[in-house]
Amino acid sequence: MPSDSRTPRPGRPRKPRGSLRGSPLFRLRFGFLAIAMVLSVFGARLVQLQGIDPKAYAEMAAAEGIVDVSLPAKRGDILDRNGEPLARSVEGLRIVADPLLTTDQAPELAKFLANRLDVDYFSLLPRLREEGSRYEYVARRVPSTVATRVVDEAADRGFKGLFTERDPVRDYPAHDVAANLVGFMGIDKPLAGFEQTFDGLLAGTDGSARYQVGGGNRLPLGDNTVVEPVDGQDITTTLDQDLQWYTQRVLRQAVEDARGDSGFAVVMDTRTGELLALADHPTFDAADPAASDATDRGSRAMSDVYEPGSVQKVLTVAGLLDAGLATPETRLRVPSELRRDGRVINDWFPHDELKLTLAGVIAKSSNIGTVTAADSFRRGQLRRYLTDFGLGSTTDIGVRAEAAGVLPAAALWSSLVDDRVAFGQSMSVNAVQMAAAVNTIANGGVHVDPSLIQGSATTDDGAEVGTDVASTHRVVSAKAARGTAQMMERVLDPEGGTAPGAAVPGYRVAGKTGTAQRVGDECACYDGTFTVSFAGFAPADDPRFTVYVVVQNPRNGGGGGSVGGPAFSKIMSYALKRYGVPPTGTKPSKLPLEW
Amino acid sequence: MSSPATQLRTRIAPLIGGPAVERARLRVVPRRAPQRTRVPFVFLVTLVLLGGVVGLLLFNTSMQQAAFATTALEDQAATLAARQQTLEMEIDTLRDPQRLAQQAQQMGMVVSGTPAYLDLETRQVLGEPSAATAEQGLRLLPRPEPKPAVLDPEPVVKEVRQVIGEGPTAGSLDDLPDAESPLGGRPVTRDRD
Repeated sequence: MPSDSRTPRPGRPRKPRGSLRGSPLFRLRFGFLAIAMVLSVFGARLVQLQGIDPKAYAEMAAAEGIVDVSLPAKRGDILDRNGEPLARSVEGLRIVADPLLTTDQAPELAKFLANRLDVDYFSLLPRLREEGSRYEYVARRVPSTVATRVVDEAADRGFKGLFTERDPVRDYPAHDVAANLVGFMGIDKPLAGFEQTFDGLLAGTDGSARYQVGGGNRLPLGDNTVVEPVDGQDITTTLDQDLQWYTQRVLRQAVEDARGDSGFAVVMDTRTGELLALADHPTFDAADPAASDATDRGSRAMSDVYEPGSVQKVLTVAGLLDAGLATPETRLRVPSELRRDGRVINDWFPHDELKLTLAGVIAKSSNIGTVTAADSFRRGQLRRYLTDFGLGSTTDIGVRAEAAGVLPAAALWSSLVDDRVAFGQSMSVNAVQMAAAVNTIANGGVHVDPSLIQGSATTDDGAEVGTDVASTHRVVSAKAARGTAQMMERVLDPEGGTAPGAAVPGYRVAGKTGTAQRVGDECACYDGTFTVSFAGFAPADDPRFTVYVVVQNPRNGGGGGSVGGPAFSKIMSYALKRYGVPPTGTKPSKLPLEW
Repeated sequence: MSSPATQLRTRIAPLIGGPAVERARLRVVPRRAPQRTRVPFVFLVTLVLLGGVVGLLLFNTSMQQAAFATTALEDQAATLAARQQTLEMEIDTLRDPQRLAQQAQQMGMVVSGTPAYLDLETRQVLGEPSAATAEQGLRLLPRPEPKPAVLDPEPVVKEVRQVIGEGPTAGSLDDLPDAESPLGGRPVTRDRD
């Protein structure tokens, strides 16, 4: 080829090709220069990538297509004794909007959503138009079928920017049944009741998953880390949903008819101490707690202490019988009034001097008779008995804000206090304490700790509660308990007793009325209002249930027998029917009331 | 090959068994057979490689298919689980004791009276059976809150004497053109007493 240039053909002048490519040396140098320039650009980029900021790009590369999701743990259910849910978690979704996409159609979309979900148009609209935000809640805790339907329908209508995320719904299917005990959930945390007390058990631990996706599908061989969530435990209570419901309705009727302030009712299994129902009135709907007063959302049966009044006499005479200081037939002279330390003790009914037996004192609920009989106690003996019956100390059954009540300290236990405590004034109790104390008589003199949780559970302050940790101890002898029960049967006597209305046809029932002066909220003194109550058990000779009904401040002039008695009768009758307890078929107590 | 060692060996060889040395001497081996064709081997390797690649491709594809199926099934499982839970929630709502009681009461049912128990061993009838009566009905709904006096005023009672000639009377209303049609639901009294 070079020869070609050296010998140009004559006649056809051709440009030498060498001049087009330049000299080899020039080409070589130019080539090297070009390569060196390109390589130095690569080099600089390499330094930039590797030397200056190596992590950022690695992360960007990794983040591409990696999905990080949290796997929420399922919150445990709160069940009644038969496994019926009082509170349960349901798969739910939250609907979230991306305002960047929803701004343009905000009014239409807000109208669409307000018509289908429980959201307010006017509060939703600004959220759909929020500037600079890409994540706004539309609705939380929507049952997932509803949420999916709404979002799909929105997509069909051409609305953009709505998506859903997991968000379990807490459902209270029975609404106000046991709501005061079960409590309720706020948006993110429990706010009351068992929900709060046992949150550690119920909540569980959330898990997480991190995996690579491509086109919405998990890559089979991509990065994949899953931490499985640990679901919360269920809590089984000793409550019986149907009985609890019935008790609440009977209680409400009793409180409303008596035009009372509030009331509580306790149904207790005599042998095990399990609370089958613990009702409060007024109550609230756990599915809609905001609709009720905050003061109605706790359990008054546990937090409102009150003076038990004459129901207490049962404990006093049980102590007398146990100590061998009296028998049901002990004869007492009951004057029309009793002067003690300059104070006068009266009975609730005016009378001349009566000749009553101890059974008669209980049946007619005579304060004077009880005080006279209690005089034979040695100093401090009554207080010991009452402490053994569980008064003055908390029951620790797992209900928040329990008040222990007050049993006057031994140092302050004057003879006046002694007299007044004998018939249930100058001391205070909560309803479950008192029910457990009366249940001791029913259970042959053995006190069983009441419980609300089956098995055992740890509360948020670390205490173990439940049937597993409930203990028993003997307070009075079986003979004393039997004698007391027989005296209590006479309370329902149609002629001589104070509460014939509490009778359950066909059954032997033992009970005691209570009408106590009540310390008012404002003056911290007896303000002329009353606490009326009825406690009892049936069948009297083989008790299965103890029922205790209390109504605060009735305004219809009723007492424990006329207000509490009928409610007791209804609840007891229902419980006996429900659990198939046949009457014992024995003869009722015929203890003499007078002599 | 003319190193001193070789020379030494050639010199020593005749002395120690010459034929053996002769046999041990290295010679060029003649080619035994013409070289066999490599085609089958190359074909085998190619086949293995190709098979591997295709197999891997198929495996990968099937794994991807499985991933799609997983996603679809997981979605389906989640939807079905949600549906089940929603249905359970509806059952619980329907089983709400309050709701059942209200329905029962609307059908005229009341809480039962006391039952009798039959003891088959002793052939005794225990208890006093009583019939269910309307008085045993339970009030299921709370009493309505009493309204404040402003909203619940005492009924105003006014004694009205008939005045003829002032305002529209029943008679004058009768003269209206369309007397048969209801007058906007307003009660028209025709009683002149």
